[in-house]
Amino acid sequence: MDNFNQIALIFILAVPLFTGGALIFFPRNKIGAIRTFALAGSLLTFLLSFYVFVMYDYHEGGYQFVGSIIWLMDPLNIQFSFGIDGISAPMILLTGIVMLAGTMMSWNIEYRSKDFFVLFMFLVAGVLGTFSVTDIFFLFFFYELAVLPMFPLIAVWGSTTDFGSFLRTKEYSAMKLTLYLVAGSVLVWIGIIALFIETTNAGAGTFSIETLSQMSEDGVFSRKFQLIFFPFFMIGFGVLAGLWPFHTWSPDGHVAAPTAVSMIHAGVLMKLGAYGIIRIGMTVLPEGASGWMPLLIGLGTVNVLYGAISAMGQRDLKYVIGYSSVSHMGLVLMGLATLNPIGVTGAVLQMFSHGIMTALFFAVVGMIYERTHTRDITILGGIAHRMPFTVILFAVAGLTSLGLPGLSGFIAEILIFVGVFKTSIFLAILAVVGAAITAVYVLRLLGKAFFGPMDSKWETLTDGGPRELITNGLLAGIIFFVGLWPMPLLRVINSGVAELLARYPI
Amino acid sequence: MGLMELAWIIPASSFFAFVGIIAFGRRIPFVSPMLSIGAIIVGCILVFVVVMGRIDADPTGIDFFSRKWFEVGGTELMLGMIIDPLSIVMLGLVCFVSLMVQVYSLSYMRHDPKLAWYYAIHALFAASMILVVLADNFLLFYVAWELVGLCSYLLIGFWWEKREPVEAAKKAFITTRIADVALLVGILLLFHEVGTFSMKETFYQAQLLGAGEVSELSSGTTMIATFLLFIGAMGKSAQIPFHVWLPDAMAGPTPVSALIHAATMVVAGVYLVARTFALFEAVPNVLLVVSIVGLVTSLLASTMALVNTDLKRILAYSTISHLGLMMLSLGAFGYTAAIFHLVAHGFSKALLFLGAGSVSHASNQTDIRKMGGFIKVMPITAITFGIGALSLGGIPIFAGFWSKDEILIAVFNHRNFLFLIGTLFVGFLSALYMARAFYLVFFGDLKNENKSVSESPILMTAPLILLAIPSLLFGFSVFGSDEGYGGIGRFIFFENAHDFHFNVLLGSISVILAVVAFGISKPLYITRKFDLNRIKKYFSGLIRICERGYYFDQVYEWFFDRIVLVSSRFIAWLDRAVVNDVGVNGPANSMGWTASKLRLHVTGKVYNYALVMVLGSMIIGSVWWIMVAG
Repeated sequence: MDNFNQIALIFILAVPLFTGGALIFFPRNKIGAIRTFALAGSLLTFLLSFYVFVMYDYHEGGYQFVGSIIWLMDPLNIQFSFGIDGISAPMILLTGIVMLAGTMMSWNIEYRSKDFFVLFMFLVAGVLGTFSVTDIFFLFFFYELAVLPMFPLIAVWGSTTDFGSFLRTKEYSAMKLTLYLVAGSVLVWIGIIALFIETTNAGAGTFSIETLSQMSEDGVFSRKFQLIFFPFFMIGFGVLAGLWPFHTWSPDGHVAAPTAVSMIHAGVLMKLGAYGIIRIGMTVLPEGASGWMPLLIGLGTVNVLYGAISAMGQRDLKYVIGYSSVSHMGLVLMGLATLNPIGVTGAVLQMFSHGIMTALFFAVVGMIYERTHTRDITILGGIAHRMPFTVILFAVAGLTSLGLPGLSGFIAEILIFVGVFKTSIFLAILAVVGAAITAVYVLRLLGKAFFGPMDSKWETLTDGGPRELITNGLLAGIIFFVGLWPMPLLRVINSGVAELLARYPI
Repeated sequence: MGLMELAWIIPASSFFAFVGIIAFGRRIPFVSPMLSIGAIIVGCILVFVVVMGRIDADPTGIDFFSRKWFEVGGTELMLGMIIDPLSIVMLGLVCFVSLMVQVYSLSYMRHDPKLAWYYAIHALFAASMILVVLADNFLLFYVAWELVGLCSYLLIGFWWEKREPVEAAKKAFITTRIADVALLVGILLLFHEVGTFSMKETFYQAQLLGAGEVSELSSGTTMIATFLLFIGAMGKSAQIPFHVWLPDAMAGPTPVSALIHAATMVVAGVYLVARTFALFEAVPNVLLVVSIVGLVTSLLASTMALVNTDLKRILAYSTISHLGLMMLSLGAFGYTAAIFHLVAHGFSKALLFLGAGSVSHASNQTDIRKMGGFIKVMPITAITFGIGALSLGGIPIFAGFWSKDEILIAVFNHRNFLFLIGTLFVGFLSALYMARAFYLVFFGDLKNENKSVSESPILMTAPLILLAIPSLLFGFSVFGSDEGYGGIGRFIFFENAHDFHFNVLLGSISVILAVVAFGISKPLYITRKFDLNRIKKYFSGLIRICERGYYFDQVYEWFFDRIVLVSSRFIAWLDRAVVNDVGVNGPANSMGWTASKLRLHVTGKVYNYALVMVLGSMIIGSVWWIMVAG
């Protein structure tokens, strides 16, 4: 077993890459075989991610499942090194879950389904790679690998929103998303190079996160250097996390993307941003982080309120969820910015919880859109008569997002509130108010779009089939599980956060 | 010790019933009521066991049982129970009324296709309400508090096929949620100062603060936090200005109104104030606010009840009014009186609601103007309803009389004269509107369209009778017996046990007022000895204001539609038009524009390039000549 543990992470990366690569050689018209193969790949990836999560020893902490291959020798000294800690382990699990659910929800794609699954697999491989490497060069590499397939996935398989007075074509959204994320990565890249040069000046240039954090502990990075370069990571990765005012790509991108891509995108990809801030910014540049956190917590608060209020004014079901993601990612950023164990743990838990919840949201909206061909709240109405289970699933996601106890969102939010309270009572109150606004728009949405008398045009609607209901039912089950018994997840996160914050003054 | 610890099974059994119904209820229809009722019967039996345990240990003592739930950043968060007289009395009330209502629903809801769902939420409600009562730390309390809110939302919106219940459910959830923001902030503030969610520790610190000793709590924070807790309580207990959701909540099934919106969930706010009384006592200024809010609420709500014509809404306003009385009593240090009234009102009001359900079930209407003379066709409902009305009206020997008296004494002892007048007036109005409803529904002539009305089946009348018994007899628990039990004042009390005492003057005034109210109702509403229309015309302005509910709804609707929604659309527009179209597309467009202009210089003609070259070298040359050579 020990031998397997050394290469488990390689497997996790290789399975989606291999699945994607092999799918290229499938004949285009054998849709059934393509789907089955993609599903098998996703299932295996999910099982592996579950395995590493369960086998992660939280007593011991630190990076586990480690391994490393030298890729470039001196002077660049780039190693393909990998390993996961208490923060990335839940993220790997999250990716596995959302990937499997996404594959299940894309079962019905008829148009160029082979190309879709190829790109989808590469996208997931990029995400998994980002979470599992411990070398910032490769972290960046996988990060870009995850971003790039988004463009064709949205531009080809996406959908256009047209309300007459308001038009967003899928090409526009795809282009905007890609440009934004690339702009963010430029900042990150500058930051990475700065780190490398600074370490080179100190005698040993390195890209390894562990060495970097060790050197940071030894005082290689001056306070000034940290204060100058932390914003590069904060804003560069922040763009991907939906940091206000760089969030506008995200609602447009979510809405235009096809169901499975929205799920991965809002569920996992946005977490890459927050993860990047933790993994590079907060680990390597603690003084910079301490210096810039007041700004981040302030912007996070704006995210929470601005996202929630904007969500209230939307007509399109997906835009509501898109803006709610902006709002919830604000909570993650606020939690990170507290720099105290409770707040940061809450933030990481919120990343997980929001990932599952948003995946469920987009999956259900996808089911509704597939059947009604509209996402306009004012046109939908009373569809719970014909799609009761779909609406129940939507309600579970909605109640999670408004922070109902017993569901995962509550635990995460309460921890974040407690954490933020220690930093700033005023901002904590604003965050609580933001959560209350969420209740307003979620309940308005439920009441308007799903309940009440049914329009006669929905007479022929059918509820989700077993494939859809089981997939989403499992997502809902995870939400309940984490909400009722968060300990299995929290003890892993606790160990990661304790290590992360060991170098911060309490 | 051992017996008390079994209390956790009470919420757990109902919770498992909920899970069981969700899993199997759809396929096997009869399993849902069986599971739910079975679980609550287990609960009722265990309440006795827990009472035994409490009596064995120390009848008026308090015990805490905690287990770790999860741990984060070195802070442990617990799941735990509080077992003391207060929680035991509440447990008894919740379990008993839940059982009655669920049995009643067997008949009332039997034709509903969503019976399984109905019982599922009932089971979940029972579990969460019991958890509210048992919770020994603020976090768990908040969890359960929100869950009962969810159940209320689901049950009000039970008939979601219609527009009205959906709107009412939404209104209820959002209104209480706004109040819950305050509650949560209050809880977090306390956590911030005390460093734990544990009520035990928080109360201890509050007592230190009250005694003027060194405490983790500072008086300023405690005052703010306590006030915030009270706002949360106002939302749940429908105190003005948060009361607007409760009358609308009557859109749900009537048994639900009896259970959730009369006897149990709405008193959670009162329970919260009672439970955290140690905090309130440390900052007495907040208690003054509590009593003022309580008095204003009960005055306004009772006038609204007096002019309403919908039976369920009359009862809803009456509930608000009596919740106000409980708050008033707590605010006047009448801890025992408030809890006593809470229980007495719980039995009586559940009885009245179930009676109203029986009436509307038989006649398919809730408008009291279309009823009358029902005593001839449904005697059991009429008599039990009458007992409930007399109890709520405060007629001697009925439960409500004793508790009202206790409240009057508390107000008399601790608050000024105006409060006392107000309380007596509320008592009078309370008797008057109960008498009005009772006479209009059950007396007078039976109208032609109601000829087919008949008594409800045994499953509905049995709970009525079983609830009528405590409504009649519960009041006698004020008296102690020789064997151990020293009267309610020696069982439920805050710090000081006290005996039952009766103020003759106050008692006689309140009795006279109540009897007069019942006395004038028959000539006023049935035999029409007085000209009601002339009175109505005389007070027409006032009556209209009461009928419109003092325009609270209108103001809120205006605020929501004109301010909240408009500003949210503005922000949404801002995000598109300014942040996106100017901020994002703007740079892109200007880049495109610049490029489109710049590319014009690429003409491909040699003499153009030659000209630029010559001009350029001339400029560079002259610059060089001026700067360097010159």
